[in-house]
Amino acid sequence: MTQLDDMRRAIRENDPALSRFDPLPRIICLDDFDRGMCGWTQLVGNYEETLDAMLPGYAQHSHAMLSTLPNWDFGSHGGVDGSYALKIATRPKKGAQNVAIKRLTFRKAGPIRLEAYFTFKPEATELALSETDIRSFGFLYDLQIGDTSGPGDRVMPHLRFLNAQDGQHAQKWQFKRKTTPIKPIGTAGKTITHYHLAPTDWEDLPGGEQRLCYNEIPTKVNWHYLRFDFDLAAMQATHFQVNDRVFAMDGFDCIRIPAMKNLWCMLNLAFFAETDTDKRAFAYLDSVCLSGDF
Amino acid sequence: MLPENLTAVVARNETWTGTSATEPYEAGWAREAVVFVRALKEPKGPLPKARIEISADGMHWCHEGSEFDLPAAKDAVTFQRISHFGNFLRVAASLPNGSEITVLVTIHLKA
Repeated sequence: MTQLDDMRRAIRENDPALSRFDPLPRIICLDDFDRGMCGWTQLVGNYEETLDAMLPGYAQHSHAMLSTLPNWDFGSHGGVDGSYALKIATRPKKGAQNVAIKRLTFRKAGPIRLEAYFTFKPEATELALSETDIRSFGFLYDLQIGDTSGPGDRVMPHLRFLNAQDGQHAQKWQFKRKTTPIKPIGTAGKTITHYHLAPTDWEDLPGGEQRLCYNEIPTKVNWHYLRFDFDLAAMQATHFQVNDRVFAMDGFDCIRIPAMKNLWCMLNLAFFAETDTDKRAFAYLDSVCLSGDF
Repeated sequence: MLPENLTAVVARNETWTGTSATEPYEAGWAREAVVFVRALKEPKGPLPKARIEISADGMHWCHEGSEFDLPAAKDAVTFQRISHFGNFLRVAASLPNGSEITVLVTIHLKA
Protein backbone atom coordinates (compact mmCIF):
# COMPACT_ATOMS: atom_id res chain seq x y z
CA MET A 1 0.00 0.00 0.00
CA THR A 2 1.39 3.40 -0.97
CA GLN A 3 0.72 6.62 0.87
CA LEU A 4 -1.71 7.54 -1.91
CA ASP A 5 -3.59 4.24 -1.39
CA ASP A 6 -3.82 4.95 2.34
CA MET A 7 -5.10 8.46 1.74
CA ARG A 8 -7.60 7.29 -0.87
CA ARG A 9 -8.89 4.61 1.47
CA ALA A 10 -9.23 7.05 4.37
CA ILE A 11 -11.23 9.48 2.21
CA ARG A 12 -13.49 6.72 0.87
CA GLU A 13 -14.11 5.19 4.27
CA ASN A 14 -15.27 8.58 5.48
CA ASP A 15 -18.02 8.52 2.84
CA PRO A 16 -20.88 6.17 3.84
CA ALA A 17 -21.89 5.69 0.18
CA LEU A 18 -18.40 4.36 -0.65
CA SER A 19 -17.21 2.81 2.58
CA ARG A 20 -19.25 -0.34 2.00
CA PHE A 21 -17.40 -0.93 -1.26
CA ASP A 22 -13.72 -1.80 -1.84
CA PRO A 23 -13.19 -0.14 -5.22
CA LEU A 24 -10.03 -0.10 -7.28
CA PRO A 25 -8.34 3.34 -7.52
CA ARG A 26 -10.64 4.79 -10.21
CA ILE A 27 -14.41 4.61 -9.80
CA ILE A 28 -16.02 4.21 -13.23
CA CYS A 29 -19.54 4.44 -11.81
CA LEU A 30 -21.22 4.28 -8.43
CA ASP A 31 -24.87 3.58 -9.14
CA ASP A 32 -27.16 4.07 -6.20
CA PHE A 33 -30.72 3.60 -7.40
CA ASP A 34 -31.94 6.20 -4.95
CA ARG A 35 -30.61 8.57 -7.62
CA GLY A 36 -32.59 7.04 -10.48
CA MET A 37 -31.90 4.45 -13.16
CA CYS A 38 -28.19 5.43 -13.41
CA GLY A 39 -27.91 4.25 -17.02
CA TRP A 40 -29.35 0.75 -16.52
CA THR A 41 -31.76 -0.22 -19.27
CA GLN A 42 -33.38 -3.10 -21.13
CA LEU A 43 -31.36 -5.66 -23.01
CA VAL A 44 -33.18 -5.50 -26.33
CA GLY A 45 -32.37 -8.14 -28.93
CA ASN A 46 -31.06 -7.36 -32.40
CA TYR A 47 -33.44 -7.06 -35.34
CA GLU A 48 -33.68 -5.70 -38.88
CA GLU A 49 -36.85 -4.60 -40.74
CA THR A 50 -39.16 -6.27 -38.20
CA LEU A 51 -39.19 -6.91 -34.47
CA ASP A 52 -40.35 -10.43 -35.33
CA ALA A 53 -36.68 -11.16 -36.15
CA MET A 54 -35.73 -10.79 -32.48
CA LEU A 55 -34.89 -14.08 -30.74
CA PRO A 56 -37.59 -15.06 -28.21
CA GLY A 57 -35.06 -14.96 -25.38
CA TYR A 58 -34.69 -11.22 -25.94
CA ALA A 59 -38.29 -10.53 -26.93
CA GLN A 60 -39.41 -11.43 -23.38
CA HIS A 61 -37.24 -8.73 -21.80
CA SER A 62 -38.84 -5.65 -20.30
CA HIS A 63 -37.75 -2.51 -18.52
CA ALA A 64 -36.22 -2.60 -15.05
CA MET A 65 -37.97 -0.48 -12.41
CA LEU A 66 -37.16 1.72 -9.46
CA SER A 67 -38.73 -0.24 -6.64
CA THR A 68 -39.22 0.19 -2.91
CA LEU A 69 -39.71 -3.61 -2.71
CA PRO A 70 -43.36 -3.20 -1.75
CA ASN A 71 -45.11 -6.18 -0.21
CA TRP A 72 -48.78 -6.87 0.30
CA ASP A 73 -48.32 -7.88 3.96
CA PHE A 74 -45.93 -5.26 5.38
CA GLY A 75 -45.45 -2.60 2.70
CA SER A 76 -42.22 -1.19 1.32
CA HIS A 77 -39.04 -2.97 2.28
CA GLY A 78 -36.62 -0.34 0.96
CA GLY A 79 -32.96 -0.69 0.08
CA VAL A 80 -29.70 -0.92 2.04
CA ASP A 81 -29.58 2.80 2.77
CA GLY A 82 -32.49 4.41 0.97
CA SER A 83 -35.95 3.84 -0.42
CA TYR A 84 -35.16 2.51 -3.91
CA ALA A 85 -33.53 -0.42 -5.63
CA LEU A 86 -33.39 -1.46 -9.27
CA LYS A 87 -35.89 -4.27 -9.83
CA ILE A 88 -35.54 -6.84 -12.62
CA ALA A 89 -38.79 -8.80 -12.96
CA THR A 90 -39.42 -11.83 -15.15
CA ARG A 91 -42.75 -12.77 -16.62
CA PRO A 92 -44.79 -15.39 -14.75
CA LYS A 93 -43.75 -18.34 -16.89
CA LYS A 94 -41.35 -21.13 -15.96
CA GLY A 95 -37.90 -20.41 -17.42
CA ALA A 96 -38.66 -16.73 -18.13
CA GLN A 97 -35.71 -14.37 -17.82
CA ASN A 98 -35.14 -10.65 -17.67
CA VAL A 99 -32.00 -8.56 -17.83
CA ALA A 100 -30.88 -5.03 -16.97
CA ILE A 101 -27.80 -3.76 -18.77
CA LYS A 102 -25.40 -0.84 -18.69
CA ARG A 103 -23.35 -0.14 -21.80
CA LEU A 104 -19.88 1.42 -21.54
CA THR A 105 -16.48 1.19 -23.19
CA PHE A 106 -13.12 0.94 -21.43
CA ARG A 107 -10.14 3.28 -21.68
CA LYS A 108 -7.49 0.89 -20.39
CA ALA A 109 -7.38 -2.88 -20.75
CA GLY A 110 -6.52 -3.54 -17.12
CA PRO A 111 -8.15 -4.74 -13.92
CA ILE A 112 -11.79 -3.86 -13.27
CA ARG A 113 -13.94 -4.66 -10.24
CA LEU A 114 -17.71 -5.06 -10.11
CA GLU A 115 -19.32 -4.79 -6.68
CA ALA A 116 -23.03 -4.84 -5.89
CA TYR A 117 -25.55 -5.28 -3.13
CA PHE A 118 -28.27 -7.60 -4.42
CA THR A 119 -31.16 -9.77 -3.38
CA PHE A 120 -33.91 -11.80 -5.07
CA LYS A 121 -37.30 -13.26 -4.31
CA PRO A 122 -40.38 -14.65 -6.05
CA GLU A 123 -43.62 -12.74 -6.41
CA ALA A 124 -45.54 -13.48 -3.20
CA THR A 125 -48.60 -15.02 -4.85
CA GLU A 126 -48.77 -17.85 -2.31
CA LEU A 127 -48.66 -17.97 1.48
CA ALA A 128 -45.64 -20.26 1.36
CA LEU A 129 -41.90 -19.68 1.61
CA SER A 130 -41.47 -20.37 -2.12
CA GLU A 131 -37.68 -20.67 -1.75
CA THR A 132 -37.37 -22.86 -4.84
CA ASP A 133 -39.47 -20.65 -7.14
CA ILE A 134 -36.52 -18.55 -8.33
CA ARG A 135 -34.26 -20.40 -10.73
CA SER A 136 -31.35 -18.01 -10.69
CA PHE A 137 -29.86 -14.60 -10.16
CA GLY A 138 -26.78 -13.76 -12.17
CA PHE A 139 -24.58 -11.22 -13.87
CA LEU A 140 -22.33 -10.96 -16.89
CA TYR A 141 -19.91 -8.78 -18.77
CA ASP A 142 -19.88 -8.39 -22.54
CA LEU A 143 -16.35 -7.32 -23.49
CA GLN A 144 -14.24 -6.88 -26.58
CA ILE A 145 -10.62 -5.86 -27.08
CA GLY A 146 -9.67 -2.48 -28.58
CA ASP A 147 -9.50 -2.10 -32.36
CA THR A 148 -5.69 -2.01 -32.49
CA SER A 149 -4.88 -4.33 -29.62
CA GLY A 150 -5.80 -7.63 -31.25
CA PRO A 151 -5.87 -10.37 -32.15
CA GLY A 152 -8.48 -11.12 -29.53
CA ASP A 153 -12.02 -12.11 -28.85
CA ARG A 154 -15.37 -10.91 -27.72
CA VAL A 155 -15.45 -12.28 -24.18
CA MET A 156 -18.54 -12.77 -22.04
CA PRO A 157 -17.96 -13.86 -18.46
CA HIS A 158 -21.23 -15.18 -16.98
CA LEU A 159 -21.98 -16.21 -13.41
CA ARG A 160 -25.32 -17.22 -11.97
CA PHE A 161 -26.47 -18.41 -8.58
CA LEU A 162 -28.55 -21.46 -9.49
CA ASN A 163 -31.04 -21.27 -6.66
CA ALA A 164 -33.35 -24.03 -7.88
CA GLN A 165 -33.93 -26.18 -10.93
CA ASP A 166 -37.23 -27.99 -11.42
CA GLY A 167 -38.11 -27.50 -7.77
CA GLN A 168 -34.79 -28.78 -6.39
CA HIS A 169 -32.97 -26.28 -4.18
CA ALA A 170 -29.51 -26.21 -5.82
CA GLN A 171 -27.83 -23.12 -4.27
CA LYS A 172 -24.61 -23.05 -6.27
CA TRP A 173 -22.72 -20.71 -8.56
CA GLN A 174 -22.37 -21.64 -12.21
CA PHE A 175 -20.58 -20.24 -15.25
CA LYS A 176 -20.85 -20.56 -18.99
CA ARG A 177 -18.44 -21.17 -21.85
CA LYS A 178 -20.90 -21.58 -24.72
CA THR A 179 -23.51 -19.41 -26.37
CA THR A 180 -26.04 -20.41 -29.01
CA PRO A 181 -24.93 -20.55 -32.68
CA ILE A 182 -24.47 -17.10 -34.21
CA LYS A 183 -27.36 -16.32 -36.53
CA PRO A 184 -27.49 -13.57 -39.16
CA ILE A 185 -30.42 -11.13 -38.90
CA GLY A 186 -32.02 -9.57 -41.98
CA THR A 187 -30.42 -9.13 -45.37
CA ALA A 188 -28.07 -6.16 -44.99
CA GLY A 189 -25.26 -8.34 -43.64
CA LYS A 190 -24.69 -5.98 -40.70
CA THR A 191 -26.49 -7.65 -37.84
CA ILE A 192 -26.14 -10.99 -36.07
CA THR A 193 -27.63 -12.46 -32.93
CA HIS A 194 -27.06 -15.22 -30.39
CA TYR A 195 -28.63 -15.96 -27.02
CA HIS A 196 -25.91 -16.19 -24.42
CA LEU A 197 -28.45 -16.65 -21.61
CA ALA A 198 -29.91 -19.83 -23.08
CA PRO A 199 -30.66 -22.37 -20.32
CA THR A 200 -28.13 -24.81 -21.78
CA ASP A 201 -24.40 -25.15 -21.12
CA TRP A 202 -24.19 -23.84 -17.56
CA GLU A 203 -21.37 -25.54 -15.64
CA ASP A 204 -20.86 -25.73 -11.88
CA LEU A 205 -18.17 -23.46 -10.51
CA PRO A 206 -15.85 -25.83 -8.61
CA GLY A 207 -16.46 -25.26 -4.89
CA GLY A 208 -19.30 -22.91 -5.79
CA GLU A 209 -21.97 -24.25 -3.43
CA GLN A 210 -23.26 -21.49 -1.17
CA ARG A 211 -26.19 -21.27 1.20
CA LEU A 212 -27.42 -17.68 1.05
CA CYS A 213 -29.63 -16.10 3.68
CA TYR A 214 -33.31 -16.28 2.76
CA ASN A 215 -36.03 -15.36 5.18
CA GLU A 216 -39.00 -17.33 6.46
CA ILE A 217 -41.80 -15.88 4.35
CA PRO A 218 -41.78 -14.90 0.66
CA THR A 219 -41.89 -11.15 1.27
CA LYS A 220 -38.75 -10.70 3.40
CA VAL A 221 -35.34 -10.26 1.81
CA ASN A 222 -31.78 -9.77 3.02
CA TRP A 223 -29.17 -7.91 0.98
CA HIS A 224 -26.02 -9.69 -0.22
CA TYR A 225 -22.64 -8.33 -1.27
CA LEU A 226 -20.84 -9.50 -4.39
CA ARG A 227 -17.48 -8.66 -5.89
CA PHE A 228 -16.14 -9.89 -9.23
CA ASP A 229 -12.66 -8.91 -10.42
CA PHE A 230 -11.69 -9.25 -14.06
CA ASP A 231 -8.52 -8.40 -15.94
CA LEU A 232 -9.30 -6.86 -19.32
CA ALA A 233 -5.68 -7.36 -20.46
CA ALA A 234 -5.64 -11.12 -19.86
CA MET A 235 -9.44 -11.41 -20.28
CA GLN A 236 -9.51 -13.60 -17.16
CA ALA A 237 -11.46 -13.50 -13.91
CA THR A 238 -9.24 -12.98 -10.87
CA HIS A 239 -11.55 -12.90 -7.84
CA PHE A 240 -15.14 -13.73 -6.99
CA GLN A 241 -16.68 -13.13 -3.61
CA VAL A 242 -20.24 -13.24 -2.27
CA ASN A 243 -20.72 -12.19 1.35
CA ASP A 244 -18.07 -14.00 3.41
CA ARG A 245 -17.13 -16.56 0.73
CA VAL A 246 -14.30 -16.17 -1.79
CA PHE A 247 -14.42 -18.69 -4.62
CA ALA A 248 -11.41 -20.11 -6.45
CA MET A 249 -11.62 -19.08 -10.11
CA ASP A 250 -9.13 -21.58 -11.58
CA GLY A 251 -11.98 -23.62 -13.04
CA PHE A 252 -13.86 -20.60 -14.39
CA ASP A 253 -13.93 -19.53 -18.00
CA CYS A 254 -15.96 -17.24 -20.24
CA ILE A 255 -17.90 -17.42 -23.47
CA ARG A 256 -15.30 -16.51 -26.09
CA ILE A 257 -16.39 -15.77 -29.66
CA PRO A 258 -14.59 -14.00 -32.52
CA ALA A 259 -14.27 -10.23 -32.16
CA MET A 260 -16.98 -8.34 -34.03
CA LYS A 261 -16.39 -5.46 -36.40
CA ASN A 262 -18.36 -2.93 -34.38
CA LEU A 263 -17.77 -3.67 -30.68
CA TRP A 264 -14.24 -2.40 -29.95
CA CYS A 265 -13.46 -1.66 -26.27
CA MET A 266 -16.99 -2.68 -25.32
CA LEU A 267 -17.61 -2.88 -21.58
CA ASN A 268 -21.21 -3.92 -20.95
CA LEU A 269 -22.39 -5.21 -17.62
CA ALA A 270 -25.71 -6.85 -16.92
CA PHE A 271 -27.67 -8.52 -14.16
CA PHE A 272 -30.45 -11.04 -14.72
CA ALA A 273 -33.15 -13.11 -13.07
CA GLU A 274 -34.79 -16.40 -14.08
CA THR A 275 -37.90 -18.01 -12.67
CA ASP A 276 -38.31 -21.74 -12.10
CA THR A 277 -42.12 -21.65 -11.86
CA ASP A 278 -45.07 -19.86 -13.43
CA LYS A 279 -44.45 -17.03 -10.98
CA ARG A 280 -42.51 -13.79 -11.47
CA ALA A 281 -38.91 -13.77 -10.22
CA PHE A 282 -37.61 -10.46 -8.89
CA ALA A 283 -33.92 -9.57 -8.67
CA TYR A 284 -33.04 -6.32 -6.91
CA LEU A 285 -29.89 -4.23 -6.95
CA ASP A 286 -29.48 -1.69 -4.19
CA SER A 287 -26.27 -0.30 -5.64
CA VAL A 288 -23.50 -1.17 -8.06
CA CYS A 289 -19.91 0.07 -8.04
CA LEU A 290 -17.66 -0.49 -11.05
CA SER A 291 -14.04 0.51 -10.61
CA GLY A 292 -10.79 0.14 -12.50
CA ASP A 293 -7.04 0.38 -12.04
CA PHE A 294 -5.98 3.15 -14.44
CA MET B 1 -30.41 17.64 -9.79
CA LEU B 2 -33.04 17.37 -12.52
CA PRO B 3 -36.06 15.29 -11.53
CA GLU B 4 -36.15 11.66 -12.72
CA ASN B 5 -37.76 11.16 -16.12
CA LEU B 6 -38.05 7.71 -17.64
CA THR B 7 -39.28 6.16 -20.86
CA ALA B 8 -40.09 2.51 -20.14
CA VAL B 9 -41.10 0.16 -22.94
CA VAL B 10 -43.38 -2.26 -21.12
CA ALA B 11 -44.73 -4.26 -24.08
CA ARG B 12 -42.87 -4.64 -27.37
CA ASN B 13 -44.33 -6.54 -30.29
CA GLU B 14 -46.81 -8.33 -28.05
CA THR B 15 -49.98 -9.62 -29.64
CA TRP B 16 -53.05 -9.09 -27.51
CA THR B 17 -56.12 -11.31 -27.78
CA GLY B 18 -58.82 -11.83 -25.16
CA THR B 19 -58.01 -10.23 -21.80
CA SER B 20 -54.48 -8.86 -22.05
CA ALA B 21 -52.33 -6.53 -20.00
CA THR B 22 -48.81 -5.18 -19.75
CA GLU B 23 -46.57 -6.58 -17.03
CA PRO B 24 -46.87 -4.73 -13.68
CA TYR B 25 -44.69 -1.62 -13.62
CA GLU B 26 -43.62 0.08 -10.39
CA ALA B 27 -43.54 3.84 -10.66
CA GLY B 28 -44.27 5.13 -7.16
CA TRP B 29 -41.54 7.73 -7.54
CA ALA B 30 -43.37 9.39 -10.47
CA ARG B 31 -46.03 12.06 -10.11
CA GLU B 32 -47.33 11.70 -13.61
CA ALA B 33 -47.35 9.28 -16.50
CA VAL B 34 -48.31 9.26 -20.15
CA VAL B 35 -48.98 5.89 -21.72
CA PHE B 36 -48.58 5.54 -25.49
CA VAL B 37 -49.85 2.54 -27.44
CA ARG B 38 -48.75 2.02 -31.04
CA ALA B 39 -50.07 -0.75 -33.27
CA LEU B 40 -47.12 -2.49 -34.90
CA LYS B 41 -49.32 -4.49 -37.29
CA GLU B 42 -52.74 -3.96 -38.83
CA PRO B 43 -55.24 -4.73 -36.01
CA LYS B 44 -57.96 -7.31 -36.65
CA GLY B 45 -61.62 -7.04 -35.66
CA PRO B 46 -63.39 -4.51 -33.45
CA LEU B 47 -61.17 -3.00 -30.78
CA PRO B 48 -62.35 -2.22 -27.25
CA LYS B 49 -61.08 0.71 -25.16
CA ALA B 50 -57.86 0.13 -23.26
CA ARG B 51 -57.99 0.85 -19.54
CA ILE B 52 -55.47 1.93 -16.91
CA GLU B 53 -55.22 -0.34 -13.90
CA ILE B 54 -53.51 0.28 -10.57
CA SER B 55 -52.55 -2.05 -7.76
CA ALA B 56 -51.24 -2.03 -4.19
CA ASP B 57 -49.12 -5.14 -4.65
CA GLY B 58 -48.76 -5.87 -8.36
CA MET B 59 -51.08 -8.87 -8.01
CA HIS B 60 -54.57 -7.48 -7.29
CA TRP B 61 -55.72 -4.87 -9.80
CA CYS B 62 -58.32 -2.09 -9.86
CA HIS B 63 -59.65 -0.14 -12.82
CA GLU B 64 -58.23 3.37 -12.27
CA GLY B 65 -61.05 4.91 -14.30
CA SER B 66 -59.14 6.08 -17.37
CA GLU B 67 -60.05 4.56 -20.71
CA PHE B 68 -58.70 5.32 -24.15
CA ASP B 69 -58.91 4.03 -27.70
CA LEU B 70 -56.55 1.37 -28.95
CA PRO B 71 -54.87 2.42 -32.22
CA ALA B 72 -57.10 1.43 -35.13
CA ALA B 73 -54.41 1.03 -37.81
CA LYS B 74 -50.80 -0.02 -38.17
CA ASP B 75 -48.49 2.70 -36.78
CA ALA B 76 -51.39 4.67 -35.34
CA VAL B 77 -50.74 5.87 -31.80
CA THR B 78 -53.06 6.59 -28.89
CA PHE B 79 -52.25 7.86 -25.43
CA GLN B 80 -53.58 8.46 -21.95
CA ARG B 81 -52.40 10.87 -19.25
CA ILE B 82 -52.41 9.58 -15.69
CA SER B 83 -51.64 11.08 -12.30
CA HIS B 84 -52.06 10.02 -8.69
CA PHE B 85 -51.62 6.33 -9.38
CA GLY B 86 -49.76 5.08 -6.31
CA ASN B 87 -47.13 2.57 -7.31
CA PHE B 88 -48.06 -0.32 -9.63
CA LEU B 89 -49.41 0.60 -13.05
CA ARG B 90 -50.50 -1.38 -16.11
CA VAL B 91 -52.50 -1.08 -19.32
CA ALA B 92 -55.19 -3.69 -19.92
CA ALA B 93 -57.79 -4.46 -22.57
CA SER B 94 -60.43 -7.12 -23.09
CA LEU B 95 -60.63 -7.98 -26.77
CA PRO B 96 -63.64 -9.82 -28.19
CA ASN B 97 -63.20 -13.19 -29.87
CA GLY B 98 -61.45 -12.81 -33.23
CA SER B 99 -59.94 -9.40 -32.45
CA GLU B 100 -56.20 -8.95 -32.23
CA ILE B 101 -53.69 -6.13 -31.91
CA THR B 102 -49.89 -6.20 -31.80
CA VAL B 103 -48.69 -3.39 -29.56
CA LEU B 104 -45.76 -1.30 -28.49
CA VAL B 105 -46.67 0.15 -25.09
CA THR B 106 -44.48 2.89 -23.62
CA ILE B 107 -44.85 4.60 -20.26
CA HIS B 108 -43.31 8.06 -19.83
CA LEU B 109 -42.85 8.90 -16.18
CA LYS B 110 -41.84 12.11 -14.42
CA ALA B 111 -41.00 12.71 -10.77
